[in-house]
Amino acid sequence: MSADAPAETLTVRESINQALREEMRRDERVFLYGEDVAEYGGLYKISDGLLDEFGEDRVFDTPLAETSLGGTAVGSALVGARPVVEIMYADFLPIASDHLINYAAKMYFNYGDETSVPLVVRAMYGTGDGHGLHHGQSPEAWFMNIPGLKIVMPSTPRDYKGLLKAAVRDDDPVVFLENKMQYDLDGPVPEEEYTVPLCESEVKRAGSDVTVVAIGGMVNTALEAAENLSEQGIECEVVDPRTVSPLDTEPILESVEKTNVLVVAQEAPTFGGFGSEVAAQVIDDAFFYLDAPVKRVGAPFTPIPFAENLEEIYFQTADDIESAVIDAIET
Amino acid sequence: MELDASDKEGILRDLLLVRTFEEYVLDVYQDRGIRELPHSSLGQEAVGVGACVPTREEDILVPSLRTRAVMLLRAPMKEIVAGMYGTESGPSAGRTTEHHMGSSEYGILGTTGMVGSHLNASAGAALGSEVLGDDRVTVSFLGDGATQRGEFHTALNFATVKQLPVVFVIENNHWTEAKPIEDLVAVDDLTDLAGHGLPTQIVDGQDVIEVANATSTAVDRARNGDGPTLIEAKTYRYRPHAETMPEERDKAELEEWKRRDPVNIFSERLVDDDVVDDEWIERTTEELRERAEEAFQFAEDDDLPDEEELYHVYKDTDIDHEKGVVR
Repeated sequence: MSADAPAETLTVRESINQALREEMRRDERVFLYGEDVAEYGGLYKISDGLLDEFGEDRVFDTPLAETSLGGTAVGSALVGARPVVEIMYADFLPIASDHLINYAAKMYFNYGDETSVPLVVRAMYGTGDGHGLHHGQSPEAWFMNIPGLKIVMPSTPRDYKGLLKAAVRDDDPVVFLENKMQYDLDGPVPEEEYTVPLCESEVKRAGSDVTVVAIGGMVNTALEAAENLSEQGIECEVVDPRTVSPLDTEPILESVEKTNVLVVAQEAPTFGGFGSEVAAQVIDDAFFYLDAPVKRVGAPFTPIPFAENLEEIYFQTADDIESAVIDAIET
Repeated sequence: MELDASDKEGILRDLLLVRTFEEYVLDVYQDRGIRELPHSSLGQEAVGVGACVPTREEDILVPSLRTRAVMLLRAPMKEIVAGMYGTESGPSAGRTTEHHMGSSEYGILGTTGMVGSHLNASAGAALGSEVLGDDRVTVSFLGDGATQRGEFHTALNFATVKQLPVVFVIENNHWTEAKPIEDLVAVDDLTDLAGHGLPTQIVDGQDVIEVANATSTAVDRARNGDGPTLIEAKTYRYRPHAETMPEERDKAELEEWKRRDPVNIFSERLVDDDVVDDEWIERTTEELRERAEEAFQFAEDDDLPDEEELYHVYKDTDIDHEKGVVR
């Protein structure tokens, strides 16, 4: 895909809808199901209109039982179908996680004949809407320690569409995490057919002074911070892994070798999180390039609080990333 | 279902196959150990064998931990035993136990060590058949223990609401590990736990033909688009849950069930009907025991897998397994 290819402006919501529509048109084995995804069109209207086009055999509503969603996705994928299942809030993933952790992630290993589990589980996370403890957690670290799962967290409409299409075509099980606070975010999306490969990190903004590795919704926050810091003469390179696991570390290492400073940013609590793993990988492979301690931006080690002021404390903003960058440079 | 003399002979051969194999497993385990801890199906062979009778080769079978019949009827014995030893000729070159092996070639859906998690996966396999438009039926086995899990209820509800082509067969051997089933559920018949609007049937799990007939009706119903069925086959296991567990059950109960031994019931019936004679049974048993001996010899001589077999985690992405990152 060339950089000057014709593009239209789409929201994240529209780009996900297009990805689902195009993949279901392309491959009859692809189908979409979950709680209220069909007639209602999804709680956030992501799958609006898909029932009309594809019919109830390929787009359907299910009982409220995430164990069934996870288990049936595994079973149908094992016999050759390509399910896309919506688990609604990512906070509900633990209910389906026996099937994700013990089943989906392990059947390629368990089978001897190259049978794999080509399923996609879509779920949404994202804080800042007062939804409290159980409707917005960022769950990537819960699943990062599971060999066999792929965890994808896009940040732009272009990536949402391209990565979801690639996830549907991928032969491994993919947990596709959507930031519900950014469904209305818009941006250019190529009009031509394209996919964005899984497991490839992308430099979203070039810079020479500091490397900021941010995931999911925090990529946009990091880009905002980078613009503010640029006005102060600090140029951040923002790296967006896009696929959290398995992680493509090469662009991160290359960036750190250039900038010598690393800041990582995520919505989830800092402890035991994605950023800690990035820090460890960089310390393993590029320690002598580092001129400063690695700074991690993330939530405190608490649940997501409900009260407005507490949620503001919990949620990390561009200000927090800017402070971390300045802290790192000044060390 | 209609069965002629050769069908019946075949069914008896299958019962004897599972019986002799399971006895041989115990002999070897007691003599010199086997890496995979045996969870013997002795005593409940008629459930697995009977339920497979009306299935087609392309149908999908989902064994419980104890449905050895499914493995033996679908997969080569040498591969099964290599799977028990974790050697390179096993179903996944030693990566997994034979208990949970899956194979698209043999039509066996892989399972996990979580009792009951295969029930929604079984509904999913049937859902896959619907989406793909094939007419395969999924036959899924579960123990009485699995009926106590939420998976049992969510899977039955999902399968019934979606009218999926799946048959669930409970192998009720009356003991959940070391606990009698009556201490764990407040119903006499496990089908009473269901009530999801799906047809249920209780059968004598010691009578292979009764199991086959009930499953045949259920498989036809599934293939005709009339949805799932739940069958409860009442049976008994002759051995403890696993071979490391001391037997603490009432001996009288065990002896009473052994008087209704599924292999004896069917072999006596076929001898009475002049389908086979005692000499055929003896000869067949001897042949099957030799097959088991050969398979165990093969596995014991087989090599352990190469290290590279471990690194088989992602199909579409090459990773550095030590670091856990993309190569």
